[in-house]
Amino acid sequence: MTYPTKLPRGGVDPPAETLVPRDSGITNAAVPSRALIPLLQHSGKPALCLVKPGDRVKEGMLIGNADGSRSANVHATIPGIVVEVGEHCLPTGEVCTAVAIELGGEFETSGKPRSRREWESLSRLDLLERIRRAGVVGLGGGSIPTHLKLAIPPGSASSIFVANGVESEPSICADDALLREKPSDIMEGLRICQALLTPARTVIALGEQSEDLVPEFERLVRQKGIKADVAVLPSRYPHGHEQLVLAALGSRSPAGEQSATVLNVATLYAIFEAVILDKPLIERVLTVTGSPVSHPRNLKVRFGMGVRDLLEECGGLSSGAAKIVMGGPMRGVSVDSLDLPVTKVTSGIVAFEGLAARPHAELPCIRCGSCIEACPWNLVPTRLFKLVRIGAAAAAEREGLSSCTECGCCAYSCPSRIPLVAVLRQGKHALRGSDA
Amino acid sequence: MTWLVGLCLLPAAGWGVFLFGTPALIVLAVSIAAAILAELASTLPFGRFTLRDGSAFLTGFIVGLLMPAGAPACVPAAASAFAILVVKQSFGGLGRNWMNPAMGGVVFALLSWPGPMSQWIAPKGGAVQGAVMPPLEALRAAMAGPGAKETTPLAILSSSGFTFSDLDSQVLGWINTHVFSPMGISLPPGTFDVLIGHVAGGIGIVSVPLLMLGAWFLLFRGIIRWHLPVMYLGTFAILAAVFGGLGSGNGWFAGGPGFHLFSGSLVLGAFFVAPDPVTSPMTNKGKCIFGIGLGTLTFFLRFFGSLGDGVAASIVLGNCAAPLLDRWTSRRVTGTQGGAA
Repeated sequence: MTYPTKLPRGGVDPPAETLVPRDSGITNAAVPSRALIPLLQHSGKPALCLVKPGDRVKEGMLIGNADGSRSANVHATIPGIVVEVGEHCLPTGEVCTAVAIELGGEFETSGKPRSRREWESLSRLDLLERIRRAGVVGLGGGSIPTHLKLAIPPGSASSIFVANGVESEPSICADDALLREKPSDIMEGLRICQALLTPARTVIALGEQSEDLVPEFERLVRQKGIKADVAVLPSRYPHGHEQLVLAALGSRSPAGEQSATVLNVATLYAIFEAVILDKPLIERVLTVTGSPVSHPRNLKVRFGMGVRDLLEECGGLSSGAAKIVMGGPMRGVSVDSLDLPVTKVTSGIVAFEGLAARPHAELPCIRCGSCIEACPWNLVPTRLFKLVRIGAAAAAEREGLSSCTECGCCAYSCPSRIPLVAVLRQGKHALRGSDA
Repeated sequence: MTWLVGLCLLPAAGWGVFLFGTPALIVLAVSIAAAILAELASTLPFGRFTLRDGSAFLTGFIVGLLMPAGAPACVPAAASAFAILVVKQSFGGLGRNWMNPAMGGVVFALLSWPGPMSQWIAPKGGAVQGAVMPPLEALRAAMAGPGAKETTPLAILSSSGFTFSDLDSQVLGWINTHVFSPMGISLPPGTFDVLIGHVAGGIGIVSVPLLMLGAWFLLFRGIIRWHLPVMYLGTFAILAAVFGGLGSGNGWFAGGPGFHLFSGSLVLGAFFVAPDPVTSPMTNKGKCIFGIGLGTLTFFLRFFGSLGDGVAASIVLGNCAAPLLDRWTSRRVTGTQGGAA
């Protein structure tokens, strides 16, 4: 077991509300009677629609074909009939084509044991094709199509490959649940990635809350004869971010160089399913939590299931609920409709009570420096904020605006409750506008 | 946050009111009222109401705490009004002023009314004999005169005829007989008075122990960080210890840093004024450099200057450098090669 060589600075420690019982495992959510499947569930271009209303689709059938390489396939998550193909709003505010499927017909694959396919004799291209065909994207938050991350020029090798099991957000524990439930399958996914990347060094990075799993993973590493270290990293937010995980492991990749690869453990599990079980990515594990949720838990959910149905699965909401966020409590997006569907990027659903969701008046910046202490990227958020507010986004860019990952630590730590992230985001939009 | 800082200053303020009586209360009330009125006058016409943030109250409070209890009411009123109207609001209000308002007001009063700014009142129970003066002022006067041949500040004071309270001699007598004489040490007269602040001086700055009580709370609650006060007091103490005796012809290592740490507004300045987020650097490294700078400035202004005890003036001077320090101490953005600024 290796320990982080360099503790990252910055970040914040929100009250760790692990409302989900540690040993509760993963519950299978009910199959929704209707699924609304957006064709953009990844970063890049939306997939091209292959179905029209009235079509009968099978579970796992391709309904959206990747549009070029910077795109990902989208599959039907339930069997049934396509009732609508139309423009729908995503939680992020983007509008894209979505396919609505009404449940019907029989499940041909679910619940039946799948035969394992052999993969070790496959070529690199065949492996990548299996992953690409299954529509696997990064499930840790980046949602970059995974075949892009794994496709490195032939003959080259990755210097370090990290299986990232550090939760990306506080109160979310889906990765931890998956690590507990499917350690062996995750390790198979890791072996596939090792075959593709031939990394000089492989690290399985676990968060503090998964520390008790270290012996289990070390045993698996020995048993499967894998060359990998197990490391435990601090669970301080946002240190599950891949660049910060690399920094903590003492291997910061110089910008623009493809020598380090980080994949989330849920993505590794998806790779395992795609390559060995021939199963497309149609469901994921996510955390539904928050004090107004009756039974917070980790659920395996099919994409396209509505937030309303999902909350019903968890016993519904108490009357105190005032705000529902898709994603984690720090970076999640507040939703205005419970009809929004779960997609590949949804790592959790968090409900907030009235008190925690109340808006605050913005006070003047008193230059206290809390945001500077909190920023894991060494930015000076208050200065960027002031520059953007006076319309000098270009000057803010010279001071590192584009290095901002919108992790929210600055706004979280600001005693004057200045909406720093929102303003910095505006600055980035302004920059994009001036480029065009 | 601002209100908590005010709360932490209350014990020291209470001690000042107890020592100096009603005049001290009047000075405090006038300076706070003037600050609040000035804030209202400069914000209400623009449709803003900013009293809730507590900064105007705190500015008036600190101005009052630095005043001698005998100052005529117009002096604290003018100092507070100057602090709010000129130093703070003319730059755009809270968060935009580059100079600490309270310190600006105090320096303004020191320069404008040196006479009224030294109308000290004898502390309750203190010996009244000759002119009433804080120990620091008396030390200056004694060292300016001929024949100052003692080596420590308290000894110089005693030989110049400065008197301490009966309580001081009783307590020190008991401690010297029962605790220190077996070890061959004897505490000089005045130690007790200076230590607990039973002397003439600014209303809220005489009692260092009570100020420290509030300061501990601020540190404990994370309202201020340790970097600035520790660097400030540390730098000042080292400089005072090493070079402090040179001015009086006592040579090296004869400055009496203890006496100087417990005199004047040093502790108030280091814990309650200099860490004012608006006018101090934002980065920890910047705060350290700022503290070292303030310690150096205060040392020079106190030992070789003439404007009060040197704290207010050095904070005002130090404020000028804060934005520059922020620029110099910002870190390289993660994942980039160039500098951040």
